[in-house]
Amino acid sequence: MAFLEVRDVTVRFKVGSLLAARIKREPPPVLTAVDGISFEAERGESIGLVGESGCGKSTLAKAITGLVPIASGSVHLDGRELTGRRDRNTMRRIQMVFQDPSSSLNPSLSIRKMLAELLRVHRIVPRDRIDDRCAELMDLVELPQSLLDARPRRLSGGQRQRVGIARALALEPEVLIADEAVAALDVSVQAPILNLLNSLREDLGLTLMFISHDLAVVRYVSDRVVVMYLGKAVEDRPAADLFEDPRHPYTRALMAAAPKFGERKAPGEAALKGEPPSALALPSGCRFRPRCPLAAEICEQDEPGLAGPSETDRAACHFAWTAEEVS
Amino acid sequence: MSDRILEVEDLRITLDLGHRTITPVDGVSFTLGRGEALGIAGESGCGKSLTLKSIIGLLPPGARVDGELRFALDGEAPIAYEAGDVQGHGISIIFQEPMTALNPTMRVGDLIGEGPRIHEGLGRDAARIRAVELMRQVGIPTPERRARMWPHQLSGGLRQRVMIATALSTQPKLLLCDEPTTALDVSIQDQILGLLQGIRTRMGMSIVFVSHDLAVLGELCDRLAIMYAGRIVETGPVDEVFADPKHPYTEALMRSVPSFGASTGKLAGIAGRPPDPRAFPPGCRFAPRCRYAQEDCTSAPHRLAETAPGRATACIHPESLEGVE
Repeated sequence: MAFLEVRDVTVRFKVGSLLAARIKREPPPVLTAVDGISFEAERGESIGLVGESGCGKSTLAKAITGLVPIASGSVHLDGRELTGRRDRNTMRRIQMVFQDPSSSLNPSLSIRKMLAELLRVHRIVPRDRIDDRCAELMDLVELPQSLLDARPRRLSGGQRQRVGIARALALEPEVLIADEAVAALDVSVQAPILNLLNSLREDLGLTLMFISHDLAVVRYVSDRVVVMYLGKAVEDRPAADLFEDPRHPYTRALMAAAPKFGERKAPGEAALKGEPPSALALPSGCRFRPRCPLAAEICEQDEPGLAGPSETDRAACHFAWTAEEVS
Repeated sequence: MSDRILEVEDLRITLDLGHRTITPVDGVSFTLGRGEALGIAGESGCGKSLTLKSIIGLLPPGARVDGELRFALDGEAPIAYEAGDVQGHGISIIFQEPMTALNPTMRVGDLIGEGPRIHEGLGRDAARIRAVELMRQVGIPTPERRARMWPHQLSGGLRQRVMIATALSTQPKLLLCDEPTTALDVSIQDQILGLLQGIRTRMGMSIVFVSHDLAVLGELCDRLAIMYAGRIVETGPVDEVFADPKHPYTEALMRSVPSFGASTGKLAGIAGRPPDPRAFPPGCRFAPRCRYAQEDCTSAPHRLAETAPGRATACIHPESLEGVE
């Protein structure tokens, strides 16, 4: 059994007005944000999660962390199932770093208070060791210890994100989930943060789940990549293979759409037309069908599941392993 | 007929913070040809957005602009202008966040028709017809239906298209773009860039495109200006700058970008952080972070020196650059 196992996780939200639904005597509309996602990660492995906004990648991260209830399916860590009710020690094992470090840090607490509170509440170290541990954490994320008494507003964006990482690491997690952790940063600041995540993973043996819409960034930090579209995984493959030879038409289109540095292409010629349909009104069969250049009759009736030549190479398309080239 | 549409000479923007003044844009000069697309790249706080907004007179109150801005409205040589002369007549701007830039209390159709109503005196119905026509031009499906919607009912990509339609409603000669695709998904970003490219060739419009994303600028722009700490440090045709950067800052930026290719090696990043506009270092402002910095870098005055036709760098030791990879 893999270290982290996510099995058929489904997350549903009730949306719209409950009152209107009651008046109409209908069940309230339900949005399936994550629809039966499964993947596994070994200790120290890094999984990238890619997809457009609204595809459910952040919801999946929150479901794994325990911040959002799971409708069905299960999350196993180290052979034990993590349920909706988690004790402090279980919560500690999976930590998250958020996108916007300025809104996810408490502006009225100094960095020291922020870290010390975590260490105290979760009883990570004895009381008299808390100060030392704070200093160690600052070293770990390569911040000067002099910033321990600063409040977040005095820090730059990159420094704040490092504090966000230090805060997650304070609880000595085994899984670190970075949700668009570098999206708000300049490239020059983004690069050292990515390097830091990579080295933390190696040094501490962290399992990293890296969520981003930026394919190049995901490529840089991930061993394996799961591509999501409207709540479903459409491709799950080793990063090198995926970027070399994407098999799902959605992955191909995403890659074609991304501006590539040092490679001139005319914008707007990618195969991806239109916008994803609403998750409340999914098309029949394959949900990528309306935007897919390969769409055929079978796609209308049959929703393809993840399949492929091996357990580690899977794509959810009827033509993934037959169609050679997509123009 | 002059082939230049915009000339910016020695632009200096001073902001009054109450207790002190700062100069976040400090001596920026560039020219823009008719139908040309210029990209301005740089990190947050380098002054690229202020430079852009000063062209159309949208600086915050208390900002002082020194230097000369000249714009060619009717095919004549560029002449000095006031903001009021070009707003709605020749220059339009689109912003990063279409939700905050669009008036939430106006229906999309009225929003787009507002420019023609004010500047061309169109009536309500004519403006509505024009709005639907513009919405069709920017690729909004079922424009008649969507013209009656509110901004919050549209997706991010559609909102950005509405903003572009609003900008185009006054038939500008110059479109200023302030990171219009940063908040969008790659697929939508690609569509918007394609739309801008199409409009540009169809209408012969000039574009100044500000972004921190070099790859995006590479797709749309002919020429590139790299800004650092309020100054342009390098200019040149996009392909040439990417192939052979002549300023250490450009090189460092390019090394920081993760690529699609093999993920071997570490990303370089740039040590330190951009200087505080309250206390810019003397000489080359990038010198404290520059891996090639020499002794005279901290004293030499800033000057963009031409290295080849159309290319210029502010680095006084461009020969020491090692290049990317």
